[in-house]
Amino acid sequence: MGDEGIGVHVAKQLENELLPAGVDVLDGGTGGFYLLEYFEIYKHVILVDATLDGNTPGTIRLIKPRFASDFPPAMSTHDIGLKDLVSALQVLGKMPEIDLFVVSIHSIQQQGIELTPAIAGVVPDIINKIRCLVALDESIFTEPTIENMIAID
Amino acid sequence: MSKRIVVDPITRIEGHLRIEADIENGKIKDAFSSGTMVRLLEEILQGRDPRDAWAFVGRVCGVCTSIHSLTSVRCVEDALDIKIPPNAELVRNIMFCAQYMHDHVVHFYHLHAMDWVDVVNALKADPKKTSELAQSISHWPKSSTGYFSDIQKRIGKFVASGQLGIFSNGYWGHKAYKLPAEVNLIGLAHYLEALEWQKEIVKIHAIFGGKNPHPNYLVGGMACAINLDDVSMINAERLAYVGQLLQDGKDFIEQVYIPDLMAIASFYKDWGAIGGGLGNYLVYGDLPTNGYRDSSAYKFPGGAILNKDVSKIYEVDLRKDDEVQEFITHSWYEYAGGNDQGLHPWKGESKVKYSGPKPPFDHLETDKKYSYLKTPRWKGNAMEVGPLARVLVGYGLGREDFKEVVDKALKDLNVPITALFSTLGRTAARGLESTLTAQWGLDFYNQLLANIKAGDTRMADMSKFDPATWPKSAFGVGHTEAPRGALAHWINIQDQKIANYQLVVPTTWNASPRDSKGGMSAYEAALIDTPVSDETQPLEILRTIHSFDPCMACSVHLYDEEGKTINRVSVLGD
Repeated sequence: MGDEGIGVHVAKQLENELLPAGVDVLDGGTGGFYLLEYFEIYKHVILVDATLDGNTPGTIRLIKPRFASDFPPAMSTHDIGLKDLVSALQVLGKMPEIDLFVVSIHSIQQQGIELTPAIAGVVPDIINKIRCLVALDESIFTEPTIENMIAID
Repeated sequence: MSKRIVVDPITRIEGHLRIEADIENGKIKDAFSSGTMVRLLEEILQGRDPRDAWAFVGRVCGVCTSIHSLTSVRCVEDALDIKIPPNAELVRNIMFCAQYMHDHVVHFYHLHAMDWVDVVNALKADPKKTSELAQSISHWPKSSTGYFSDIQKRIGKFVASGQLGIFSNGYWGHKAYKLPAEVNLIGLAHYLEALEWQKEIVKIHAIFGGKNPHPNYLVGGMACAINLDDVSMINAERLAYVGQLLQDGKDFIEQVYIPDLMAIASFYKDWGAIGGGLGNYLVYGDLPTNGYRDSSAYKFPGGAILNKDVSKIYEVDLRKDDEVQEFITHSWYEYAGGNDQGLHPWKGESKVKYSGPKPPFDHLETDKKYSYLKTPRWKGNAMEVGPLARVLVGYGLGREDFKEVVDKALKDLNVPITALFSTLGRTAARGLESTLTAQWGLDFYNQLLANIKAGDTRMADMSKFDPATWPKSAFGVGHTEAPRGALAHWINIQDQKIANYQLVVPTTWNASPRDSKGGMSAYEAALIDTPVSDETQPLEILRTIHSFDPCMACSVHLYDEEGKTINRVSVLGD
């Protein structure tokens, strides 16, 4: 809710934009095990999520998590979260390439469903960065049958 | 002298769940359960269109998304007296059963099994003996020596790499683990199988709800159109796929989950006398077969049990002012009319007022307010909700389908019915109702097919969808049985807008703080007298709390908001 829902807002906007064939956008909700299949069938997954890491709200970092321990602290209030999902993929030997954009937010205690101005202001920047990553991934064009995904959380 | 230990977070229901327990002579003497975060969906919903509420409440929690949406459309339909067509009822029921199958299997293997199964010890098992054992308890085809040996090698490599990942926070080697290595290996192998399996059954939600997570619901019915010959709708091929998924799910539950549950339970029968707690059980009921208002035709009958007396099932009325009430004596809220009263949810208020210690702190002020959860009571009684409550009410009412599975399990384990009032009973009940819902899911599916073949493809009643047809003022209550227990939403609609919306969720019943008379809720009561053999590794606390299936996974991956590695457990002097 609120800034914690940055991923949902990015997903909504991306759904309205023209993306290369083979790229799909998914609002992954809170990122539980039910997303496992997407991580198995897509070769490259780009994630967007909020974090409470103490950085200035609106700070965007790109990380490539290989293990659950690579994730930043306090990703939004998930049940079985992305960390568990990544651990599960790892133990199953089915990790795709993952890029994770984490956006620092101030609080997850705020009420409401809208982004604060500081966070809303970085949405275009994240979308640009996602576009860059997609453009750089040549496999999207050389292997059009393998779909790529931007999973948003 | 007692020592207080803190387990935080034990899970993250409605935010974080924290348990503080006082231990004396190796047993828990007192316990406090606290929700340390708040979301307040109630405020977000105020003033909105009631027909949109399901989409917002679906976000309340990641595991329960679909069930909150179902509850929401039901409360609006109840308020506006909308009756959904039989097909919509069947589709909702099929989705409900699929969610149970998914949720209970994931809970057992991925959230709870590791409280009983020692993963590291599984590496010592003899694959040949494991194979023989597996074949003696089930017909499940994946049970060869080579299969178990491969699993062992895979996990062995994983453990040797030092990155335990998903298994990194277990109390491996704890002396409370009692399973032979071979049973541990079966548990571990099926943990991995269940991971792959669970992604299949949820496809039913995507087929009927258009997507998953957060499938689409509709006030008046379901949004999925059925046309057997149209590729863009729910057609014959997709329906056949649903049937296959339900059958595969039933096979997995009967051939993997239940045999594992019984095998594991047989080594932990002492837990049939630990963790019982309140002995009061509450069920709202669900799976209507003749409309939501006809509760006599529910597959899961509603009712209440007091003091473990299953011979007397009390009726429950969610509309009555003096039955379900929420108290805030120990909760960080304030009521306009005074903090000592209990409010029926139609009159419910959600004004937060934090008055706890300034973080970081060692202890909560458990003699004052200490949780963001309110304290719900039924006629003043603290109640446990969830699978055990449902199974006991069905059994107490003498329903044949319940009696059959319960009596068989008790006989197989050679334990008396009193063993059900326990941590083990809770965990067993979850398995038993999984077999029931797996069968019911197929029954509903066959009825749906029969209806469609007879020419009935109606999926929604839209005659009262237009707000112009609504009364000026309307009150409704929508209830369901979420996998983890009784769930209800109460709505007050004024001038076509939401004037008040209150949710009382299962974990609020179970995990809430004490009431005004000092009475404990289910978690706190269940922890009393639970043995804790090693205060720095309170595996026993996890067993009992996890047996309730706290709404969010007690993810064993724990981290605090500053990103420091946290010790899940802190031991503090008395």
